[in-house]
Amino acid sequence: MEKAIGNKKDRKGLVIQALVLLALVLLPFVLGNKFYLRLVTEIIIYGLLAMSLDVLLGFTGLLSFMHAAYMGIGAYTVAVFLSYVDPGASIWVTFPLGIAVTVVLAFAAGWLQVRTGGFAFALLTVAFGMMYYTLVWKARSITCGDDGLCGLPKPDISLGPIVLGNMNDSLTAYFFTLAVVAVCFFVTRRIMHSPFGAVLESIRENTERASFIGINVRNYKLMGWMLACTLAGISGVLFTYMKGSVSPTLMDARAGGIVLMMTLLGGMGTLWGAFIGAAAYIFLQDFISAMTENWMVFLGLAVILLTLFMPKGLADLPIRLGQRLTRQRSNL
Amino acid sequence: MSTILSTNSLCRHFGGVRAVNDVTIAIRDKSVKAVIGPNGAGKTTLFNTITGRLPATAGTVVFDGRDITNSPVHERVKLGICRTFQINSLFLGATVFENVRIAKQTRMGKSLKIFSKRDSLADVNEATFEILEKVGLGGKASELANTLSYGDQRSLEVAIALAGDPKILLLDEPTAGMSQLETNNIIRLIQKLVKEIAVVLVEHDVDMVLSISDSISVMHQGSIIGEGTPDEICKNQRVREAYLGDENGH
Repeated sequence: MEKAIGNKKDRKGLVIQALVLLALVLLPFVLGNKFYLRLVTEIIIYGLLAMSLDVLLGFTGLLSFMHAAYMGIGAYTVAVFLSYVDPGASIWVTFPLGIAVTVVLAFAAGWLQVRTGGFAFALLTVAFGMMYYTLVWKARSITCGDDGLCGLPKPDISLGPIVLGNMNDSLTAYFFTLAVVAVCFFVTRRIMHSPFGAVLESIRENTERASFIGINVRNYKLMGWMLACTLAGISGVLFTYMKGSVSPTLMDARAGGIVLMMTLLGGMGTLWGAFIGAAAYIFLQDFISAMTENWMVFLGLAVILLTLFMPKGLADLPIRLGQRLTRQRSNL
Repeated sequence: MSTILSTNSLCRHFGGVRAVNDVTIAIRDKSVKAVIGPNGAGKTTLFNTITGRLPATAGTVVFDGRDITNSPVHERVKLGICRTFQINSLFLGATVFENVRIAKQTRMGKSLKIFSKRDSLADVNEATFEILEKVGLGGKASELANTLSYGDQRSLEVAIALAGDPKILLLDEPTAGMSQLETNNIIRLIQKLVKEIAVVLVEHDVDMVLSISDSISVMHQGSIIGEGTPDEICKNQRVREAYLGDENGH
């Protein structure tokens, strides 16, 4: 009985993930270069976005081609509020607002999308994503269209009356982003290990069987979708806080493709793999674009090679390494 | 004994094909009903229409006095209508334990516990092992469903259905591809189950059908052409002609 249940492997994973978090906390003290600190901050934000897509794709088995749209909605909500309503708004106002607007728009799309499945679901994500993108792009009087909104005030990071720092400071931006994303990661991880996560996985594994054990598949797909979009919205809020600017390219079809690539590169169904995927993508982009203008060609090539030779994504490397170590130890 | 499920002039047409045509059957509680008939007679389509996998073209399905003709699948399952599939429908990437556990968890209404560990629900785990023992998979709980032998996968299929605490269990060719030993286990299981619930079978194994059924309905080209006890069915001339083959019944 115990053999079938066993939680040991899970606990080991948690310890490793906590150690990685500790290393990330110490990183700024090792990394002197401010530029790289901002790059890592961006990786963590995009890692959250890719992880949110993993909830949808890797756990629930639903494909979204335009997941970046919901990052864009979170980002634009905060940007518009800071531009027009209150430039000095507290994060305690703009953060929940960004999430709330994302949730409302995601619900509208999700409610319809979950009535379908497979290709139809994926196509509807494109339809809704393009619609939201076009709204942002064409509402020039508010969003400044192609130009986007720039030079937004960076908010203070405050806890009640205590101001911990300002997002202008790259160290504050890094720690705030890390803290929010770490909370999102560990909460999502817990949810995916819960009975609720088991339901999402059963829908991925066999949707028809899931309904024949009494699962209301539509409702659970919608809940998975809402969780994924909420996390994407949070990544958007963090993006505006860090960059102080937004533009429609944040949420166009290419951006949607990039998130998908990050999630696939990292490996689905692990959550942490998404962060590896985001890191790989952003580092490659940074590294190759410094050498050639045609960096997209080489990036594409790298992605193709990785997909061919590591279909389970980069997350498979540490998993296989771990298995080999365990086997060696048991052989001794 | 009272009727637990009945269909009334139930039809399911695919274009011009009348796969299920004006079928009226009543299934008594705590009995075994077998639906037999040649390939393509509409037995599985009848199952699919009763369980909600396919919408009915016309007619009604009534369960426990309640019209469920248009109820979604998951609601029928909640009422206690559980089924197995002719072609195994499992969560292949998950363990045997998890296959049944997720069904049990759903049944016990624990799916929204988002901060518990999925395998820390003691009552769900206990009920899961009980079912695995019942179908003889207790020793294989930690194996992945896709590594099981075909016969074991068939048993798992039954276990998943049982996890829904059925009031009526519909088994679509449960013993197809099973060894004699495995078949006997399933027969014993059905005989045990039927003391509490109704069981409906689609089955090709005529010996098995005759030995365990209380009532048999014979389908041919979408319609019921004969109904009765095993003895009556054996003597029914129309059934013999349509299904059992030659005039002599052999």
